[in-house]
Amino acid sequence: MNTLNAKIDRRDGKLVMAHFYVAFIALAVGGLAGLLQTLVRSGKFQLPAGIGYYQILTVHGVVLGLVLTTFFIMGFQIAATSRTSGTLSNLQRKLGWIGFWVMTAGTLMAATMILLNKASVLYTFYAPLQAHFIYYLGLTLVVVGSWLDGAAVLGKYINWRKQNPGQPSPLITFMAVVNTMLWIVATIGVAATVLFQLLPWSLGLVDRVDVLISRTLFWYFGHPLVYFWLLPAYMAWYVVIPKVIGAKIFSDSLARLSFILFLLFSIPVGFHHQLMEPGIDPAWKFLQVVLTFLVVIPSLMTAFSLFATFESFGRSKGATGLFGWFKKLPWGDARFTVPFIGMLSFIPAGAGGLVNASHQLNQVVHNTIWVTGHFHLTLATAVVLTFFGISYWLVPHLTGRVLTKAMNKLAIYQGVLWAIGMTFMSGAMHAAGLLGAPRRSSFSEYGGAAQATEWIPYQIAQAVGGTILFIAIILMLYIFVNLAFFAPKGEEEFPIGEISDHAEKTPMVFENWKLWLGITVLLILFAYTIPFIDMIQNAPIGSKGYKLW
Amino acid sequence: MAKTELNRKTKTEIEDSSSLKGTLASVFLLGFFLIVTWVSVYFLFLNRF
Ligand code: HEM
Ligand SMILES: [Cu+2]
Repeated sequence: MNTLNAKIDRRDGKLVMAHFYVAFIALAVGGLAGLLQTLVRSGKFQLPAGIGYYQILTVHGVVLGLVLTTFFIMGFQIAATSRTSGTLSNLQRKLGWIGFWVMTAGTLMAATMILLNKASVLYTFYAPLQAHFIYYLGLTLVVVGSWLDGAAVLGKYINWRKQNPGQPSPLITFMAVVNTMLWIVATIGVAATVLFQLLPWSLGLVDRVDVLISRTLFWYFGHPLVYFWLLPAYMAWYVVIPKVIGAKIFSDSLARLSFILFLLFSIPVGFHHQLMEPGIDPAWKFLQVVLTFLVVIPSLMTAFSLFATFESFGRSKGATGLFGWFKKLPWGDARFTVPFIGMLSFIPAGAGGLVNASHQLNQVVHNTIWVTGHFHLTLATAVVLTFFGISYWLVPHLTGRVLTKAMNKLAIYQGVLWAIGMTFMSGAMHAAGLLGAPRRSSFSEYGGAAQATEWIPYQIAQAVGGTILFIAIILMLYIFVNLAFFAPKGEEEFPIGEISDHAEKTPMVFENWKLWLGITVLLILFAYTIPFIDMIQNAPIGSKGYKLW
Repeated sequence: MAKTELNRKTKTEIEDSSSLKGTLASVFLLGFFLIVTWVSVYFLFLNRF
């Protein structure tokens, strides 16, 4: 494996850190909003100063679901590329900086509109809820800025391929490239609805909007969005974690194949978010559900590969028996333990996902707080704990400092607290959801209905979990500030795993983008063309905008 | 006595060092958990609809 830059160039490091500052400010703001939500929903607390529940829920969804994720991922992918494929060219770095500032400006625009209470439309901004146009424009800039960041990564990848003809690219660069392509293909959908529907409509240029088409374009983007969040965590699981524990990567080809499968099967599946929606033929919903279930394959491949890495490592250290290897893992190392908690949480998360994606079972959980419980396991545990685990070495690597023993210990407490808080919060959300409690709703006794009374104890459990989670966020912020500004100077490694000697040689077919993007486009056309024609031909007159907050 | 012990040890080591039986068991447990979750919500569905 190419390990061109054992240490990332300082100029690239600054660009990455700029992304991380915004991401962690987002964590602070969003975490506070999350805490307030759980307190409001417990029924024991009311927001002061006329602040609305849906306003803070919009803050929470936007800054954590969109801002924290996008900034962290762009920073991490630039870092991974610079580390394994070489320092960015000046032009690429400049693109990265322009991307960063465009994203930041967009974030500030959207945030201002939310704070002025002109955009309490949640992070999914479904029509016919109508926000101020500056909110949509701001989110558009976040996407456009991320394309520029993506261009820097793609540019570096192209340079590398030119300089190393006939060789497979460094694994983690390859993965960053797959995720960048996935992101570009996916964001075309959200860009389309914002530019052609929501912006003209919120500007008053047109009166009405086709709700079904805008939701369909949103979910064409919305499902790959979750894979865009997840794949960087998988990059760390496949490539970084083996090195952290002192093992080898089980198989380079398996890792690449699973990433390619994610690219193919995570886009033509948006209907699984629209199973309860009228206006889409059930046959097409069925087709997209089948495609959705194909994602089980790369997911289980990932699980297998990780178990295999851990087991081979444990046995090389003399472990015996069926599960003896488990004890040999380096539990005292936060760079391993915190992401590992994330991996564990992906087991119930995946199980819940299978339920969500099954058309009939979706009727049981649709729009209940179960769904919120689900993505606080996927995104807000598996993904963010891995991002935190990455930060523990990447931030000091970039700032020329080290993770001290004391900080390492605190980091482990942080991860464990997160696990405890999330068990309470997400567990209670799953349970209340099965009892029918709705998501995205402020506290209500629903006129004293017996069914709603059943939900209240679970809401109190969510507030307990939320409080513990908030403490974990404060710990994380403390560690971040320490690693960025105060930790002792030194060298912290950027761990990149080596491929196991038993692994087969990687075939070049994985770098054949004409092939993979071609299949991606074909699958998308297959899954969406006829339903779209149907929606346009049978379109109702469209809806005026509503401001219900 | 000493001889048998020696034999046993070498045998386990050869069997263990490259074995992935723990991985196999883990993946099966994982699959089992996925199925149990799905089936329980499926019965909830049958009861309700
Ligand atoms: C202190 C930690 C957190 C707490 C207490 C918390 C709490 C909550 C609650 C109670 C809701 C649902 C409210 C409702 O549906 O009415 C929610 C929604 C959400 N949370 Fe969190 N959360 C936390 C951390 C996170 C993190 C780290 C992320 C992502 C990185 C995240 C992403 C989201 C998203 C995207 C929504 C959906 C918003 C919507 O439905 O519009 N949360 N959170
Ligand atoms: Cu989805």
